[in-house]
Amino acid sequence: MTAFLVSLDAVSAWIRHLACGQTLYFPQQSGQSGLRFLPVDNDSEIRFDGYQPSLAPPGKKLAPAEEPLFRYRVGTDGIPVIQPVLDASPRILAGVRPCDLRGIHLLDQVNQQGHPDPHYLTRRQQTVLIGCDCLTPCDEHCFCDAVGSLRWRENADLFLTRIDGQFLLEVQTEAGQRLVANQNFPACPDLAGLKAHIEAQRAKPFGRQWHADAGRIPGIVASQWSSPVWDKHVERCFSCGTCNLVCPTCYCFDVRDDFQIEDPSAGQRVRHWDGCMLPQFAQVAGGHDFRPAPAARQRHRVKRKFEYLNERCATTSFCTGCGRCGRQCTAGIDIFDIVNDLIDHAEVTP
Amino acid sequence: MKPKVAFFDFASCEGCQLAVLNCEDILLDLLALVDIVEFREAITGTAPYYDVAFIEGSINREQDAERLRDIRARSAVLVAMGACACIGNVQARSNFIAPAENFKRVYGSEERNQVQSDPEFWPLWAHTRVRAVREVVKVDYELRGCPLVPEEFVHLVKSLVAGTIPRFAAHAVCVECKMHENTCVFDRGDTCMGQITRGGCQAICITNGYRCDGCRGLVPNANMAAHLGLLQSKGLDNREIANRYRLFCSAEPLGRVGRSGHE
Ligand code: SF4
Ligand code: SF4
Repeated sequence: MTAFLVSLDAVSAWIRHLACGQTLYFPQQSGQSGLRFLPVDNDSEIRFDGYQPSLAPPGKKLAPAEEPLFRYRVGTDGIPVIQPVLDASPRILAGVRPCDLRGIHLLDQVNQQGHPDPHYLTRRQQTVLIGCDCLTPCDEHCFCDAVGSLRWRENADLFLTRIDGQFLLEVQTEAGQRLVANQNFPACPDLAGLKAHIEAQRAKPFGRQWHADAGRIPGIVASQWSSPVWDKHVERCFSCGTCNLVCPTCYCFDVRDDFQIEDPSAGQRVRHWDGCMLPQFAQVAGGHDFRPAPAARQRHRVKRKFEYLNERCATTSFCTGCGRCGRQCTAGIDIFDIVNDLIDHAEVTP
Repeated sequence: MKPKVAFFDFASCEGCQLAVLNCEDILLDLLALVDIVEFREAITGTAPYYDVAFIEGSINREQDAERLRDIRARSAVLVAMGACACIGNVQARSNFIAPAENFKRVYGSEERNQVQSDPEFWPLWAHTRVRAVREVVKVDYELRGCPLVPEEFVHLVKSLVAGTIPRFAAHAVCVECKMHENTCVFDRGDTCMGQITRGGCQAICITNGYRCDGCRGLVPNANMAAHLGLLQSKGLDNREIANRYRLFCSAEPLGRVGRSGHE
């Protein structure tokens, strides 16, 4: 499709313009340190440099911390009338980096499979993604290249790359095309040449790298069920769940029912985030807990990212390498180190 | 028949009872569901039997313990309400200091001498130990926090009336910081007890720019060794750490670790 070469000022003005018509989220500073995907308004600063992964990944806008699933009312005949709550308001997620684009792609997969999730999918259908490339790793926690996220851009409707003080703006879908209509952006004269130049500018190696070929990792993780590595990395763990809740591909939730106090026959079912590192996650009826040890929970988390879900969705890895879990863990536990330790351990005791 | 509900206060500031009265927008709806038979902050009167007894405050003197046992014997469900009742709160810090030393700090040496010479002089401070309610009687539910969280109070009353099992967070405060997308206190250059403290408060202190000092008590199986090491690695000395751990958690095992291991 089309490609344009646009100045920083023009890109900023365009993003502001888009934000007038609908909610547009862009990573911004807001008082406290750290970036958040916040709605852009007149006072927002549109900054592309100095990017660090946002505290929460942008995909969480499609599955918020807490949301009503349906409202109910039990009629006089005793039969409940159920009204689903769906959010079909249009939105744009802009400045989404490759790791998070891939995170949203993976969430799309799990939400479409099996029992499709109408709440996620309704929001997703109304969402336009404007991606943004990375030419240097954001910090020492990043390992997006190692898991094959760095060059991911398939699901972006539009994709921006900052190069030599300008932006290459690539239109990838019809929905993206609609957002640049009437903008009169100058066309990119030599797209192939510019792309080769961009690749040459990209840092090499890009971020942290595995101790083994990435293709071997699912097999290694599968072979290490009783590895001492699990215990080693859990010694300092608080089971606080931060690593789950900041992950772009974690989607577990729990539900609760709230009846109205003034009319107990009516109420709503609410879902809220949950996470497999939390101690009560595996507690079932009668109080039995089938995964009580923190090390078993950690193993489960790693296997979800590097073995179970990538098998189910036929992809290389369910971790996008964004580094959020390691960056935000106050105990300094990093899934990248865990997997590299598993690799090293497998070399010694396969 | 509507359940009979009573509120009792022991050593506390009665702030939790006020927090209940402050549920203004739904208080009248709640009152339609229950009969309040004792509530010193709001009504006078007594009853012989209670379906639900809410206990506010820590248990400091033996006569308090006696009164509590009597209430327990006449109550179907007993709820500890607020940090004082659940974990002892700030007053339980006095457990770490010999009574005579406490008294000297507060009243000077004259009264301290008097207490040792005058058998008639037996002031309030001469209790044996500040106790949480569960150290004296069986507790069915705990409404944690200083003060309690009104939403949790309402949730409990609704569940008791509807006959459903109330659910309270047993996860760390970190969960709610993530839900509010807070910058971690450790990334703001301060230290925090959120990882070992029970959530349910919506991380209200951190969301409003402060840190968590642990008023809701410990999560089950709190990794105290890791937390101690973390605070030490941030440059806190053991005295500061013990003070932090004891501020609210004095009646919790954590406060005792602060005492025995590091002073
Ligand atoms: S963020 Fe760190 S401390 Fe918290 S559960 Fe995850 S690994 Fe454990
Ligand atoms: S497991 Fe960690 S590094 Fe991987 S996608 Fe999730 S938060 Fe990012």
